[in-house]
Amino acid sequence: MDLLLHLLVVIAIYAVFALSLNVEVGYTGLFNFGHVAFFAVGAYTSALLTLAGTPFLWSLPAALAAAGLCGFLLGIPALKLQGDYFGIATLGFGEILRMIFINEVWLTKGPMGLPGIPRPELFGFVFDTLPRYLALSAAATLATFAILAFVVLSPFGRALRAVRDDETAAEILGKNAYAFKIKSFVLGSVFAGLAGVLWAHYVTFISPGDFTLTETILVLLIVVMGGKGTLWGPLVGAVTLIVFQESVRYLRLPPEWTRLLGPLQQMVFGLLLVALMVFRPGGIVREKGERRGD
Amino acid sequence: MDLTYYFQTLLNGILAGCVYALFAMGLTLIYGVLNFVNFAHGELIMWGAYFLLLLMGEPFGLSLPAAIPPALALTGGLGLAMDTVVFRPIRRANRLTLLIAAMGLSVLLRNAAQFFWGAEVRTYGLEIMPGTPFFGVYLTMPQFAIVIVTVLCVAGVYLLFFKSRLGKSMRALSDNLDLARISGIDTKRAILAAWVISAVLAAIGGILLALDTNLSPEMGIINLIKAFAATLIGGVGNLWGALLGGLLIGLAENIGVLFISPGYKDAIAFVIMVLILLARPYVIAGERSD
Repeated sequence: MDLLLHLLVVIAIYAVFALSLNVEVGYTGLFNFGHVAFFAVGAYTSALLTLAGTPFLWSLPAALAAAGLCGFLLGIPALKLQGDYFGIATLGFGEILRMIFINEVWLTKGPMGLPGIPRPELFGFVFDTLPRYLALSAAATLATFAILAFVVLSPFGRALRAVRDDETAAEILGKNAYAFKIKSFVLGSVFAGLAGVLWAHYVTFISPGDFTLTETILVLLIVVMGGKGTLWGPLVGAVTLIVFQESVRYLRLPPEWTRLLGPLQQMVFGLLLVALMVFRPGGIVREKGERRGD
Repeated sequence: MDLTYYFQTLLNGILAGCVYALFAMGLTLIYGVLNFVNFAHGELIMWGAYFLLLLMGEPFGLSLPAAIPPALALTGGLGLAMDTVVFRPIRRANRLTLLIAAMGLSVLLRNAAQFFWGAEVRTYGLEIMPGTPFFGVYLTMPQFAIVIVTVLCVAGVYLLFFKSRLGKSMRALSDNLDLARISGIDTKRAILAAWVISAVLAAIGGILLALDTNLSPEMGIINLIKAFAATLIGGVGNLWGALLGGLLIGLAENIGVLFISPGYKDAIAFVIMVLILLARPYVIAGERSD
């Protein structure tokens, strides 16, 4: 039973993470290969603040603001770049942020990480048991889904898709593509920060090793496999891939195999990304009106 | 901390720069011909070095000079396989599709190396030879090799691109794929040639780097960011720019650690990249005329 609850909590957290990336990759066409950076900023900000005694009620908005601010500051130079370059710029940003977490020992305790992150407490109610934490994460997922669905279905969301499909045409119609991209990037970063906060207070121990490119790849695969640019795709992807990943973790295997299991699982993820792009770029839930092979 | 120390730093910068230049030239070549950033280029660097490790170990047990040509050939083959299996079928798909496929390929190849050899740092197990004094600084054999091989590669690339028919067709392709095709240029052959050259340059750089330092599955992705920064400095698609950019990044990194913590050495290339982007973003964004 605990295993099932744990699975649901992890799915909920990754659903938030994937929904946030979907706004950027799916709806705006931004190739963000450093999305884990904003997840990490959210996690570290809230962890450091609550460890210093700040109530969760304040550390949560502070963490979201910090993640959004990072997105804004990176977006200003990086979003002037055409797609591929933006991809590498974000990839580099993710790596640099991890270097900062490792090297700035006075703040982050470096590779030792931050243990003992308290469970969140809101208005005197502590989310300390698995069912309670699941309620919190599920509420966050619902809120994220509702807010992002509202945003992408609004005229603003249509403008994002216009920028994605044909930037020049959007500009001609009077849309400032750069401004739309920045707004989308900040929005995605804020919700990635939310996923990071949920993660930090769930596992109660974070270290720089948790925020590597591997995480970005997993969340990218969730979005792409579920169906980028669709409302339900990230949820479908999160359920499928997290169930796969967590069940592999609980396989009873001889110890000499477990060393190979990590790389093998990553190989499967890489292969899935390639195969999806070649055979079914739309993912499981396809975006309406999408042409085959496009 | 005398003058020799600074001279040694300068030299280390040039050595690192030579290797980055080899990576950047391959990356920019594929960009020029196919108009996309090959995110899996780093894995060609890494596999080049690991192919050599494979051939020098059991059951092959080749000596270093005997193992290098087949290692380069295998990496060239890997480059061809990447194009044939993954990129050719989606040549006309949108950029996001290409980029995600390249990313997936990078994850697959990096973890395949980790699967077979483990995540730990390895070396070729060659005897460490003492450095030779050279104007007050010390140069090891691999370091001499880096300089000489880079010069040879640059000369080779020059001859190929500006003196041969194949090079001419590759340059035509990079100007305009469709125009090149209707002018009767064998575009398939030129694209395959570009992949082989890009992969072999990556392998040469990867092997030199591994001889001078060590091998790890992460060596590709780390150097990809540097190669990318180098191509940005020189102007994307520009081979000489890539050479110059590589040298500049190598120098900046090695001079930079005199001033900041070595823990941030790998961040220097990224910071330079961001500064360039801030200084002249639209030059890069407007590079594609189509």
